[in-house]
Amino acid sequence: MAKGKRQSSNDGQVSGADQFIPRIDTEVAGVRFQNPVWTASGTFGYGKEFSHLIDLNELGAIVVKGISPEPMEGNPSPRIYETESGMLNAIGLQNVGARRFLTEKLPFLRTLRAQCIVNVFAYSTEDYVRCLEILNEGEGIAAYELNISCPNTRCGGIVYGSDPKLTEEVVAASKKAARYPLFVKLSPNVTDITVFARAAEAAGADALSLVNTLVGMAIDIETRRPRLWNVTGGLSGPSIKPVALRMVYQAARAVRIPIVGLGGISTTEDALEFFIAGARAVQVGTANFYDPGTSVRLVQGLRDYCQKKRLHLSQIIGSLEVPERPTPMGSGN
Amino acid sequence: MFDEIVAVTGNRHLGGSHFLLSVESPRQAQAARPGQFAMLRILGRSDVLLRRPMSIYNLKAKNSGGKNDPNPAAPQILEFLYKVVGHGTRLMSTLKRGDQIGLLGPLGHGFFEEDYLPQAHQANEILHVAGGIGIAALLLPAKRLAEAGFRQRLFFGGRSKADLVGVEDFRPLVRGMLMATEDGSAGYRGFVTRPLEEYLERHTNQKYLLMVCGPWAMLRACVELAKKYGHPCLVSMENRMGCGLGVCLGCCIRVQGSGHEAYQRVCTEGPVFWAEKIVWDAADGK
Repeated sequence: MAKGKRQSSNDGQVSGADQFIPRIDTEVAGVRFQNPVWTASGTFGYGKEFSHLIDLNELGAIVVKGISPEPMEGNPSPRIYETESGMLNAIGLQNVGARRFLTEKLPFLRTLRAQCIVNVFAYSTEDYVRCLEILNEGEGIAAYELNISCPNTRCGGIVYGSDPKLTEEVVAASKKAARYPLFVKLSPNVTDITVFARAAEAAGADALSLVNTLVGMAIDIETRRPRLWNVTGGLSGPSIKPVALRMVYQAARAVRIPIVGLGGISTTEDALEFFIAGARAVQVGTANFYDPGTSVRLVQGLRDYCQKKRLHLSQIIGSLEVPERPTPMGSGN
Repeated sequence: MFDEIVAVTGNRHLGGSHFLLSVESPRQAQAARPGQFAMLRILGRSDVLLRRPMSIYNLKAKNSGGKNDPNPAAPQILEFLYKVVGHGTRLMSTLKRGDQIGLLGPLGHGFFEEDYLPQAHQANEILHVAGGIGIAALLLPAKRLAEAGFRQRLFFGGRSKADLVGVEDFRPLVRGMLMATEDGSAGYRGFVTRPLEEYLERHTNQKYLLMVCGPWAMLRACVELAKKYGHPCLVSMENRMGCGLGVCLGCCIRVQGSGHEAYQRVCTEGPVFWAEKIVWDAADGK
């Protein structure tokens, strides 16, 4: 296991042609991250589960499994189903609850160089606020990521994430309650992502994470039953990357606050596409399941790309050049 | 636990849809405990993204250990007994000697952990009950128990004779083997619970420990028999798994308990559980 081989933050000066050392650290909502490669909520547990396999100190941040004010038991099995280049899940946000997170999980996370971002989930605005108030007692949290977009809980987050008025309401109330910067994780299951990006920004979000999973389903043709107990589930993995990338691109043009991109990222090239589209950081999700080394490999891959191109990360972010066209945003049939 | 790219040393067709895959990983072979599993990843395919959980069937020393091998008797090869049931296992069946696969393991809570072993010592005999490919989880525990001098017996059920693979590996370890097939092509006609119940009924004065692995309905029936005759019963569970590391929570099954304790992960708290821990009539029963 590599042991913090290289410090990612360095002076980054261009001091002679062969001495170029790229800077890949990034800042989101006033928080500095040693690099822009994070692990996505629900795919990395509480970090410790991966400590035997990778050097957690190499990561920019760990976004922990969605935390609710009370512990949640989750959905019955089957909860997951593999699809072409992806997977469906309907876990139902099983988690230890805010209090146990603070006492059992946070102390370990605090010891890491990777920042800790806490994904927060609840069923009502009051409960979002209550959850944040409990978590506010914790030290060493870099930011909150408000999950208003989980597709797998009854009358849950998706309601907030698919109604701009409710998005504004829950974000405004949460922002008021939050002691740490507030990221809002948006749902891709909407017609126009920019409406929700603007709503969250207007309500005080410090940054946006997008996207959560796409609602999908699969059917067993022998039994003619759904493959998932929950009937529908969230689709993730490489198959959703083009959709996620398009939404990051659109949102980045619609708002001023930073965007954190995720959705099917499994290679350095994937991550770079998101940076070029305007993401200030990226999260690796489903790839953690089948290849736990992905995120650490991406950090190195990003460094290598920057070195080769003689660019700092900041010069890549939002550097997309769209050639002028008569119809600039065609649907591309 | 190790995440490695390892070489396939063999992939033998055993007849029907059964195969025996061997891979070389000295670290994982030496760390493996009976009842544990590994996650196998077919490399270079985007259609089969997730790893497949497989019981570690057997451990073997490499035949050509070489002069420089400091410990020639230590196992270096892991064997996986599997049945082709879908796209992933079909691809697995095309693997050839020299091919590479991803291997994450050893994983999970096996048969001889914490409070499990004392129960074995109290038993007059260990009864292994396998349904089909469930046999794959039971060979290593049987070998270990045989080395320690335990009396053992195997009850093995399948749809037909072709499903009864691995019998020869068990023969030297047990005092007796009782087979059952649904089509009557070998042993009793019907389910494995039939010879099991007859046996338990004939020996009500004995203390047994049951170790069971197989499909849900078969597990459930065996667990009921164990309860009826008052014998402790360990079950090795299976479920679809996303990661094997305890983070995706995809493999959770309903257990006794409430709140966030109501579900436990087959990959981490399991795959081996005490039978009474599982909620057998949960809505998600298969």
